[in-house]
Amino acid sequence: MTRLQLEDLQLARGGQTVLEHLNGRFMDGAITALIGANGAGKSTLIQAMMGMLRPVAGKVHCEVPKERRAWLPQQLALDLTFPMSVEELIMTGSWPSHGAFTGYCAAHYRRGRDIMARLGISHLAHRPLGELSGGQRQRALLGRTLMQEAKLLLLDEPFANVDAETVDVLMNVLREMADNGATLIVVLHDMEQLSRLADDVLILSGGHGRWASPEALLERYAGQPPKAPRLPLTFPDTFHAGTA
Amino acid sequence: MLALLDAWLLAPFEYGFMRRAVVAGLALSLAAPPLGVFLMLRGMSLIGDAMAHAILPGVALGFLMAGFSLPMMSLGGVLSGLLIAVLAGSVSQMTGHREDSAMASFFLISLAAGVMLVSLGGSSVDLTHVLFGSILAVNGTALILIAGIASLIVVALAVIFRALVVECLDPLFLRGQGVHGSLVHGVFLGLVVLNLTAGFQTLGTLMAVGLMMLPATTARFWSQRLEGLIGIAVVLAMIASTGGLLLSYHFSLPSGPAIILLAGLAYVLSALFGRHHSLTARLRRRAAPLAATDSP
Repeated sequence: MTRLQLEDLQLARGGQTVLEHLNGRFMDGAITALIGANGAGKSTLIQAMMGMLRPVAGKVHCEVPKERRAWLPQQLALDLTFPMSVEELIMTGSWPSHGAFTGYCAAHYRRGRDIMARLGISHLAHRPLGELSGGQRQRALLGRTLMQEAKLLLLDEPFANVDAETVDVLMNVLREMADNGATLIVVLHDMEQLSRLADDVLILSGGHGRWASPEALLERYAGQPPKAPRLPLTFPDTFHAGTA
Repeated sequence: MLALLDAWLLAPFEYGFMRRAVVAGLALSLAAPPLGVFLMLRGMSLIGDAMAHAILPGVALGFLMAGFSLPMMSLGGVLSGLLIAVLAGSVSQMTGHREDSAMASFFLISLAAGVMLVSLGGSSVDLTHVLFGSILAVNGTALILIAGIASLIVVALAVIFRALVVECLDPLFLRGQGVHGSLVHGVFLGLVVLNLTAGFQTLGTLMAVGLMMLPATTARFWSQRLEGLIGIAVVLAMIASTGGLLLSYHFSLPSGPAIILLAGLAYVLSALFGRHHSLTARLRRRAAPLAATDSP
């Protein structure tokens, strides 16, 4: 089953074609890694999938309603000086069900607390956003998408500048979301992370897209034996999580 | 002692003009500070000033056409304020000029146009009146208008509150939810203009901004939560407007400046001694041991 499909897609930015003849389908419940050099069009493609950029030609077929699509860009538009706590941020994720006017109900607050517990940030519930570390912030933002019950989740380098423990937590939650049927697309630069997370890979280069399996990719580029896409998520303490 | 308190705090309100003035001040104190808090959080603290200048030509036109009639002057003010806001927005969109420089250009033009219009049709006394207001001259009609606008602002702010918060915090998220941030922004700016038109009768076009911004910027030194900021700002504005009125009554001071200076005094004191970001808070923080900042 697929709710997201690209059909001979051509995208441009400022009059310059960035991507063309892009085809493919993103399976429900799968995590697709989106890889490519800087400027290859990853963010452009994500914007088109969010419905924020009109294609020059071709189509993005997306059956996920707008309010169930979530995008966590790398350059956050988030104003961190705004006086808001982690819990309040997560509660804003209930917008699809509550809109601008309805008050939050007890059940939603409970859900918010469950989500924070799952992400290991219960103790930060009342902490202002500006006082969070990069990893804590990323957990809180993922919490908002859980609250949103996002069915399509687009993440731009979610593990950049994030500590190893947070990477594990985030990966677990992302896999859980996929198992519950959500479609996930994650921009990655790190082969190790790709091998742990991706079920499928879309490579953008030279204005075109190519699909590959993570195994094939790893074999070719890393020269390592192919790894199963669903690895046990335990690593030695010395494991280096940075993308640098 | 009681007699002294009575003479200082209650006796002045035996006069009708003082009662109307204090009610007008309290109504404005409910509506203006929340708007100021959002302006401050959006990094738009100076926009209030720009908008205050923008309502001036409309107020002047209303004054020329209908004399000293508050409804006409308010209507003119709202219209010219909205017009300038839309013009500045569209000029910056069409030309790629930054919105703040477009805003600055337009408000200077409107200030000059407004002063020119008032001078053409009236005396310098009228000009002073429009520029600096006179809370003690608020009559029944004006009071109803001010209270009506203040109520409208409070209700409208409650309606758009969540959208406004999300738009301030993360415009991209709001856009993802299919809500146009510019719509929320536009309604909000409209409320700012409305508030300034309600305020100009009592404080004058220029100082109406004071009751909006000063309590908000002061509250920043005392709270780090949105509800706290709004609550503190409203209470501060109420104290400043009532206290300022009493001062102006007892010492024959002009009422508008007395109110704003009182709010300004609160700001200066808070900048020195407030709980957050103030001078003393910074000194305290430097001396605090590491463990203290880590507690949940």
